[in-house]
Amino acid sequence: MPDGSYSGAIKTKDTFNTLERENKFKNPPQSGHSVPILNEFVTPLLESFNALFDDSNLPKGDGDGRGLLSLGLKDIGERVVFDGKGEVGSVSGQRGWGNRLSFWYETVSVARPMVPEKDTRTKERRVFPSEARERLTSYRGRMSVKLCWRLNDNPVESETRDCGLLPIMVRSARCNLRDMPSAELVKHHEEPEEFGGYFIINGNERLIRYLILPRRNHVVALNRPSFTNRGPSYTPHAVQIRCVREDQTAATNTLHYLSNGNAMLRFSWRKQEYVVPIMLILKALVGASDKEIFEGIMMQDYENTFLTDRVELLLRSFKMYSLYTGEQCLEYLGDKFRVVLNMPEDWTNKALGAWIIQKLVLVHLESPRDKFRMLLFMLQKLYALVSRSCAVDNPDSPQHQEVLLPGYLYGMIIKERLEEALTAIQRTIAIDVARGEGSVDFFDKRYIKKVIGRTSYDIGAKMANFLATGNLVSPTGLDLQQASGFTIVAEKLNWMRYISHFRSIHRGAFFAELKTTTVRKLLPEAWGFLCPVHTPDGSPCGLLNHLSRTCRIITRPMSVAHIPALLVAHGMTQAFSPCVDGRRNLCVQLDGRVIGWAPQQTLKQLATNLRIWKTEKKHNVPLDLEIGFVPTSHGGQYPGLYLFSTRARMMRPVKYLANDRDDQIGSFEQVYMDIACTPEEIENDVSTHVEHSPTNFLSILANLTPFSDFNQSPRNIYQCQMGKQTMGTPCTALQHRTDNKLYRLQTGQTPVVRPALHNTYGMDSFPNGTNAVVAVISYTGYDMEDAMILNKSAHERGFGYGTVYKSQTVDLKDLQGGRSNASLNLHFGFGHDIRVDGDKQHTCLEFLDFDGLPHVGARLSPGDPVAAYVDDTTGRTKFAKYKGDEIAYVDTVRLLGSDAGDAELQKIHITLRITRAPVIGDKFSSRHGQKGVCSQKWPMVDMPFTESGMQPDVIINPHAFPSRMTIGMLVESMAGKAGSMHGLAQDATPFQFTEEDTAIDYFGEQLLASGYNYYGNEPMYSGITGQEFAADIYIGVVYYQRLRHMVLDKFQVRTTGPVDPLTRQPVKGRKRAGGIRFGEMERDALIAHGTSFLLQDRLMNCSDYSTAWVCRTCGSLISLGYDDVTLGEQYIGPNAHPKPTGPGGEYCRVCRAAAEEEAGRARQALETGQNPTNGVQTDLRVAISSQHVLGSASKGGDLDIVAIPYVFRYLCAELAAMGINISLEIQ
Amino acid sequence: MNSAPVANGSNPGGAYNNQAARQDMEYLCADCGAKNEIRSREPIRCRECGHRIMYKKRTKRMVQFEAR
Repeated sequence: MPDGSYSGAIKTKDTFNTLERENKFKNPPQSGHSVPILNEFVTPLLESFNALFDDSNLPKGDGDGRGLLSLGLKDIGERVVFDGKGEVGSVSGQRGWGNRLSFWYETVSVARPMVPEKDTRTKERRVFPSEARERLTSYRGRMSVKLCWRLNDNPVESETRDCGLLPIMVRSARCNLRDMPSAELVKHHEEPEEFGGYFIINGNERLIRYLILPRRNHVVALNRPSFTNRGPSYTPHAVQIRCVREDQTAATNTLHYLSNGNAMLRFSWRKQEYVVPIMLILKALVGASDKEIFEGIMMQDYENTFLTDRVELLLRSFKMYSLYTGEQCLEYLGDKFRVVLNMPEDWTNKALGAWIIQKLVLVHLESPRDKFRMLLFMLQKLYALVSRSCAVDNPDSPQHQEVLLPGYLYGMIIKERLEEALTAIQRTIAIDVARGEGSVDFFDKRYIKKVIGRTSYDIGAKMANFLATGNLVSPTGLDLQQASGFTIVAEKLNWMRYISHFRSIHRGAFFAELKTTTVRKLLPEAWGFLCPVHTPDGSPCGLLNHLSRTCRIITRPMSVAHIPALLVAHGMTQAFSPCVDGRRNLCVQLDGRVIGWAPQQTLKQLATNLRIWKTEKKHNVPLDLEIGFVPTSHGGQYPGLYLFSTRARMMRPVKYLANDRDDQIGSFEQVYMDIACTPEEIENDVSTHVEHSPTNFLSILANLTPFSDFNQSPRNIYQCQMGKQTMGTPCTALQHRTDNKLYRLQTGQTPVVRPALHNTYGMDSFPNGTNAVVAVISYTGYDMEDAMILNKSAHERGFGYGTVYKSQTVDLKDLQGGRSNASLNLHFGFGHDIRVDGDKQHTCLEFLDFDGLPHVGARLSPGDPVAAYVDDTTGRTKFAKYKGDEIAYVDTVRLLGSDAGDAELQKIHITLRITRAPVIGDKFSSRHGQKGVCSQKWPMVDMPFTESGMQPDVIINPHAFPSRMTIGMLVESMAGKAGSMHGLAQDATPFQFTEEDTAIDYFGEQLLASGYNYYGNEPMYSGITGQEFAADIYIGVVYYQRLRHMVLDKFQVRTTGPVDPLTRQPVKGRKRAGGIRFGEMERDALIAHGTSFLLQDRLMNCSDYSTAWVCRTCGSLISLGYDDVTLGEQYIGPNAHPKPTGPGGEYCRVCRAAAEEEAGRARQALETGQNPTNGVQTDLRVAISSQHVLGSASKGGDLDIVAIPYVFRYLCAELAAMGINISLEIQ
Repeated sequence: MNSAPVANGSNPGGAYNNQAARQDMEYLCADCGAKNEIRSREPIRCRECGHRIMYKKRTKRMVQFEAR
């Protein structure tokens, strides 16, 4: 694949290679793979993971110390604590520091997944991914780290600390499947094409998705209005560089332009951002004099007053700091940053200053001189940006982007966790010292070991948590813009979806919430790197992309140390040269290091030379070197020659025309190249390259759409979506899968019409649909609006018959009472309370075997038992039930043991098989974005037939075509028909036909040769009347996919059912048997129609109908009280009138209280002889017509029953709580 | 589900109630395919290879649905 050639064996074109394929299935290759290309397209994932280890590309045990983990350990450095026992002023502690204990990591090692040591009886010590999948555990290997410490100048001591079990990428250098050929893989229950690249966490396959990041070690010019918010005098102008250390961790430096001409360097330390005057850094780096800085920026361009003014200001403004030498600057820096850095107390300010510069400023460069030169370049670019002599760079363009690879991210997190643990040790000791604890004794080895033992080192669990959730817990943020969403599940819904997970690349969660759509744009720079077709529509559109088929990501470092010398030998001036004319010379950079200067013409020649050398493998110039020559322009990109040899870049193969060799080009250089798509397009003296194949810019999935060049482009996008939702063949190792849900098409076929890449990628192993005879005719009226009619006999023959596999696990540990202080309480099986034999056998025995597990093959209805278990404490037998809502068959029952194989059965996994024959309402689609719903299964006798007696399997409506313009489907229909007649596998690769040599003619001739109409039309006869149709019908063979959206999973209907406990309204959600909301606008429609009975039915009777007592006197809904009428009636009322309760004893509490009060007042008035005052009167009245009053309490009580929506009563109660009374008037 | 009479309340030793449950069940090793007799409360491991997953054998009982 890297060279763009088809490495798959297409021995006999035009045939289906059935026998060869069958043989490959029966006898998978003993060496190598049946489909090698499938192993290549995940190499970036695997190699980035392998890069973590020292020995990845070397024989076992031969570490070279270049693994990312080793480099990370080096970067962590040492931590130091003092015991504070020194005497002030002595050598060992000028300030009483005392004994100096330093510790650091020496090595880290990760083992392959193995059976635990305590299990001695297992023959195969290795653990394979299939076991992790089936046992629903994680695929992990033991990680350990060698921790060294040293007291003062005593000898170094060390201890190996166990770091737990680290999740291992399948088929990586630490996986037991590495380098296994297909035959071995099959033996270990994998696919013959298993390519790995994912992790197994709790039985799920999870993968770290590629993420787009700014290109490393390259200065980009930015213009962001938000920069002005950083403080007074900040402008939108800035240049930014994302620097990457050798261990692939990154740090971003930004150089801001201030409106007074000054520049500030911004860097961050532990998520906190700091801004430092650039002059301070420049001086601190090399102790540069003002003249050196001035000359370095001006480069003899003294006439440029814009530049001189600003550089002068830069130099003058720094005078206020009164820092003159580099040493002073370092000390100043160290003094200011000492508090935040947490470095050893015995370090001087100068050492701290140097440390900051080494760790935070331009971290990709080692030597201060290189950093100094690079900072000068950044200043030049910044001033050029401000003076508008160069344009801003587009950070959304792939030109300035690279990829975050899973392995590198994994390494970064491990490094940070290790660093955290080391700091934790330091802190623990420091706290112990500060507390003055007696146990602190640096000379006691046991104390130190105890502290190390106390520190949490379960890095494996933390990594497993990261993979399971995708959440990054990090104190530094790892220089990334997001903290979650790094991992996804590699769903095996069907093969297409599965493989596209491994090529998907995300722009970043940060951009998903951005209101602007600029980041989602399809840019011409992305040509050949990101597929323009394969992106989802909807919210992730343009953010979630897929790599083009031939796009590679560089994962190996290459040797480029000799390149500066090579360039110098061919006319480049060296970087240290003091007299370079900046007006004529352009900068040459290698991986963000200034390596020299040269005039534009020389540079152009150098670039050409390098390209010839790298394609012809001369002078050891690596092929993957990116040669970005940016010529001088008027206000364009900042010119220069930028060479990139670093990892994580996107590259792709094309042919170099100058010598007809393969060339690899990157996304930076491609912008300045002229690449012809086909050899015919080559223009002399313009084109430099030509594509290997015109389809190389498409992703794998987009390449699999037949004749996609005939379709309107959105239809191809839809097909990329629908191909991933098809019920197809998810995998061939179905027996060993434990996925939550798998869709399987029982009658998959190889398409008659397929692009050449279909064979290359071995898609025949995973058929995704069925070849159907399709007639384009408006026949029954059941094919309106994208409905399609299925031939009932085709359906009975198995067209589109599918199965859904679901999983159910029963884990006794999770069940109630499963675990009581370490002893197991629950066991699978029957207790004494279940009669297992005889006539009165318990009914569960119909489903369950004597071991309490279901029979394999049992048919389960919702609620049937799937397992029985006994509770030891109660002696009772309980059942686990089948939770689904449709009939299922038990396919497999797995008894899952423990890691060491020493525990009794506590967990089972049941695979359930649910049959899904196509029914009316199921969704189907062709491969051209033409989806439709089955509307009828039409009896075959009534289907139309052709002169040869053919009857279509599928009828679609002609109206599907004019507006959608999927001509590819029409061509496929013709090609399929001709292919079926001649027994050909038709090549449907796009861009094969031209205006002169048309597809219609090619396939029309084939049709003629087999006795059909040239255009694919045929006379047809009505199946009902037998009469010939007036028009000839377009009929042919089209590959149809059955989509996984099935009515059985979708239909939602209820009359009554669960209600919300608070409002008593129907709940929502299909899963909870809820209803579909009959909302306000729907209500409006019913009102407008005057269909009041319907309104009543929907909004009242079928919703929260309730009856309530309402008081006639005060109109209150919520003041119901009951008297115990069995004790006789009470007689209290105003003016001593009897006030009876209702027949049930109900009365209004408000009115009674008022009456009692009034009675009391009246009595008082009688006593005192005053006039009784009136009680409270309600003033708000709401009318309720008498027909809503169901029955009035006849026996004198003044309460009535009315029908109201229950929420209304709730509203009344809520309002009452706020002191608002609602009163209903009853008539 | 409690139609069967409860024999005795608690029996900490085990739940072997009658002859049928005492029957050994035969399972298939997921790795080597060997037949394994595993009694109730015995560890799940293959006697041949030590593997830790067992499959239940397909039922010998007649399975017939919807004979149409």
